[in-house]
Amino acid sequence: MSAHETTLPADGLIAVVKRDCPTCTLTAPVLAELAARERLTVFTQDDPTFPESVPARVDDTALDVSHHLKIEIVPTLIRRVSGRETGRTYGWDRAEWERVSGVAGLGADLPAMRPGCGALNAEPGRLEDLLIRFGQTGLSARRVTFGEDEDEIEAMFERGWSDGLPVVPPTEKRVLRMLAGTTRDPKEVVGLCPPNLAELTVEKVAINAVMAGCKPEYLPVVLAAVEAALDPAFSLHGVLATTMFVGPVVIVNGPVRRQISMNARGNALGQGNRANATIGRALQLIVRNVGGGRPQEVDRATLGNPGKYTYCFAEDEEGSSWEPLSTDFGVARGVSAVTVFAGFGLQGVVDQKSRDPESLSRSMAESLKAIHNVKLAPACDALLVVCPEHERTFRQAGWSKARLLEELYRLCEIPGEQLVRGARGIEEGYPPSVAGTTRNKFRPGGLLIVRAGGSAGMFSGIIGGWSGGGFAGSLPVTREVKS
Amino acid sequence: MGVATTEFIDAAAVQSKALGTDPAYVFVPHPVQDRTDDELRKMADDHLEAILALLVKKG
Amino acid sequence: MKVVLDPTAERSPSSRERLARPEQLAGLTVGLLDISKPRGDVFLDRLESLLSQRGVSVKRYMKPTVAKPAPLPLRQQIVGEVDLVVEGLAD
Repeated sequence: MSAHETTLPADGLIAVVKRDCPTCTLTAPVLAELAARERLTVFTQDDPTFPESVPARVDDTALDVSHHLKIEIVPTLIRRVSGRETGRTYGWDRAEWERVSGVAGLGADLPAMRPGCGALNAEPGRLEDLLIRFGQTGLSARRVTFGEDEDEIEAMFERGWSDGLPVVPPTEKRVLRMLAGTTRDPKEVVGLCPPNLAELTVEKVAINAVMAGCKPEYLPVVLAAVEAALDPAFSLHGVLATTMFVGPVVIVNGPVRRQISMNARGNALGQGNRANATIGRALQLIVRNVGGGRPQEVDRATLGNPGKYTYCFAEDEEGSSWEPLSTDFGVARGVSAVTVFAGFGLQGVVDQKSRDPESLSRSMAESLKAIHNVKLAPACDALLVVCPEHERTFRQAGWSKARLLEELYRLCEIPGEQLVRGARGIEEGYPPSVAGTTRNKFRPGGLLIVRAGGSAGMFSGIIGGWSGGGFAGSLPVTREVKS
Repeated sequence: MGVATTEFIDAAAVQSKALGTDPAYVFVPHPVQDRTDDELRKMADDHLEAILALLVKKG
Repeated sequence: MKVVLDPTAERSPSSRERLARPEQLAGLTVGLLDISKPRGDVFLDRLESLLSQRGVSVKRYMKPTVAKPAPLPLRQQIVGEVDLVVEGLAD
C-alpha cells in the first residue's frame, strides 16, 4: 500500500522510519511490541519491507506523508486522537516512547536513549522538490512553461530576457535555493524599479540573480546593490536613459568580499571571478527585465560601455593605509557594504617612474583632467582606482586619502581661459565670461578613491562618471549588506 | 503569417504550443487540390482582408 | 515540462510575442513564400496581383521541397529583402 492511497489513522500510533538508520533498526522490536497491543502504522521512507517485524507498513518512499507530518528525525513516534496529534517524540528515548505510547516497560533490553538520524524528506534537494510538488514554495511569480521542443536557453533569448549572453533558467528549485541566501521575505518589496517603476520584490531579485549566475550567498550583496541603485539620489532612471556612457558600477567593501571570494586583486575589473561577474550582471538584468530598460528603447546610450554587461569589483582593503570607500559614506569600518557609482569604462594611468607622491599625483591629475573632454570643467564625478604599487608610493610618503584628494583637487583647478570655446582650437567649452575665473574639474565630493588591482604593474585607472555629476545628476550611494 | 487549409487548424495549434510561439494563421476551406484556377483566385480574393489584418496593426 | 519563474514585471503575456506589426503596408515589401505544394502558386499569384494593385512591393520565393523547413540561406535571403512574409498554401 503506498502512502497516497491511505489517509492517516484518526486514532492510534504512527511511526516514521527508514531502514538506513541504526536507531530505527534498534527500535524495530519495540514497534513490533506496540503493534501487537494497538493500532500502529509505520511509514518507511526508503525500503517498504522495513521493518519486517511490523505488518502494517506503508510505503512512503515518495515522502508525501513524511513531508505532511514535518518529520525531521527518524524514528519519529506520534500519537493521534480523533484526527489530531497529541504527542510526538523522535530518536529512541525509553521515557519519551512510554509517554507517547502510554505503555510502560518498552525496550527493556535497549539502552535508555539513542539519537535518531536525519529524515530523508528534510534533505536539501528533496525538501525543495516536495515544496514545489505541493505548491508550498511561497513563490508568487508567474510560471512560464516552455514548449516540449523548445531549447530553454533559446527560449529565454527569444523572450528578451537576456543581455545578449546566455542566462541560467530560473527554475523553481534554483530560485528556492537562491532565496535561502537571505532571511528576507520573498514578498518584500525592495522598491519601484525604473524606468517602468515596476514593483521589485526580493523574489524578482532572486529570479534575476539566478539568471545572472549568482550563488545564493551573493544574494545579500545583490540586494544591497539594488537598494543603493533605487535610492532616488542615484537617479537610476537617468543613468539608464542617458545618451552618455554610464551604467551602475558596484564597489564592495567589508568582510563579505572574502566570504564570497570576490576579486580585489589581479584583473579585479576584468573577467574570471564569478562573484564580480554575476553580482553586477544581476543588477543589469533587473533593470532590463523588471524595470523594462533596454537599449534603443528607454536606454538611449550612444555608445554605452562594456561595463553595462557587468561592472562590479571588491576594494583591496588588506594592507591599505586608506580607509574603505564605504567609510566615506558613513558606514563603520569592518561592516560589509556596497557603493554604486554611475560610471563607465576605464581610462588607464601609466606611471612607472614617479618615486614621490607629488609626481604621481600630477600624472593622475593630468589624466583626470581629460575625462569627457579637456575643455569641460566640472565634467563629471570620477572614481580613481589606485593600484597597490601606486598606493604604496603614497603610503610610504605618509599621504592619507584625504591628503591625496586635497592635492588632486588643487591640481585640477583649471584657468577659465583654457576652457572657453575656441581655446586650444577646440569649439567645445564655455562662454568667454569664464575667462578670468578658475574652475575645478570636479565638484566637491565628486572624486572618489579606491585601491584595487594586482601587485605587479604600476597601472591605475579612472572610471569616469555622468555629466551633471552632483545633485543634478547621480550621486554615489552606499548600502550595508544585510543577510 | 501563414495560409493553410482548415485541416491544419489542430496541427498548427499543437506545433505552436510545442515551440512556444503564436504565429498568425489564416485558414482557407479544405481541400485545395481539386479546385480550378478560378476557384483558387476567388479564395485569394475572399481572404485578402484577413491576410492583411494579420500583417498590419489593427485600427 | 520545463517551468521557470518569470523574471519580468509581468505586464505582458508570457508567450513569445510576434514582432510588432507595422501601421500600414505603404513603402513596405511583402514576401510571398511558396511552400511548394501543388496549386499553391495559383493562390499566391493572385495574392501578388492583389497586393501590387494596392501599391505594395512583392517578392516571390519558393521552398526547394515541401517536406523540410525552409533552408537557412533562403530564410536569410527573405529576412534581408522583405518586411513581412506570407507563406502558403498548406493543405
